[in-house]
Amino acid sequence: MFKELDPILHSQLRLAVMSLLIAVKEAEFTYIREKTNATAGNLSVQVQKLKEAGYIEVTKQFKDNYPQTTCKLTPHGIEAFEAYVKALQQYLQAGQS
Amino acid sequence: METDEKELSPQESLVLIQTMISKTKGAVADDSFHFLLWGWLVFICCLSSYILKTIVHYPNHFYVWLLMPVGGVVSAVYGARQKKTRTVKSFLDESLDYLWIAIGCSFLVLIIVNILNAQSWQTAFTYYILLYAIGTFVSGSLLRFKPLIIGGLINFGLAAISARFSYDNQLLIGSLAILISYIIPGHLLRRKYQKQKL
Repeated sequence: MFKELDPILHSQLRLAVMSLLIAVKEAEFTYIREKTNATAGNLSVQVQKLKEAGYIEVTKQFKDNYPQTTCKLTPHGIEAFEAYVKALQQYLQAGQS
Repeated sequence: METDEKELSPQESLVLIQTMISKTKGAVADDSFHFLLWGWLVFICCLSSYILKTIVHYPNHFYVWLLMPVGGVVSAVYGARQKKTRTVKSFLDESLDYLWIAIGCSFLVLIIVNILNAQSWQTAFTYYILLYAIGTFVSGSLLRFKPLIIGGLINFGLAAISARFSYDNQLLIGSLAILISYIIPGHLLRRKYQKQKL
């Protein structure tokens, strides 16, 4: 019996953001935008969805008079990411057998 | 990356995860400034203190060490500025920050011990060199940067050897230790980061 792939993570940009954040402690919005080549508008929408799902924590503050947004995975987000990777592995193993 | 409309296959998802994780590999901050600042500062202080004490016979030779708090201020200001421009913080950056905070605290403790117990000056550099060894060996291992690892390992040996020498000669061993563990690896590390930027 296959586990359904988490629809929040099974999207190109949201998965890219989660994969970046799993590898670092925290990253600024500008860093994520640069690494994913996404537009600011689209990234903002996807970051908001991840935040609403409780997968990431978003901190907004001012740095030298410029707004700065920092993103970081929550423990719930890490669990969801791990479960997603496990489910992917199941699909791939089933495909091979 | 465009919209999130595109349907991903499990294979594509795994490739995407791998690609994004590999993009974070160069995310470690360039720490060479701190190695070079402290390396040159301690090197100059060791040698000038040795010259003032043994050749010039200046009684207040230890005044040169007042440069250490100045180094502390420069290091803290530079670190705070670097933090402002940093857009990502890796787990490695965090580990290195905590390691050097612990080493900095250990230096403060040793200085207090040496002030409270005059006899402990005799082995002061043995413990300072031991701290250089721990800091550079662990940093080098985490960064997978051989010159720092080698510098750290040599310093473990120099720390043991220094116990056999007088305080005056320990100043010379201290300058050699800092040259091997901070200055040379610091310059090599800086070159590595500059090459990465190109």
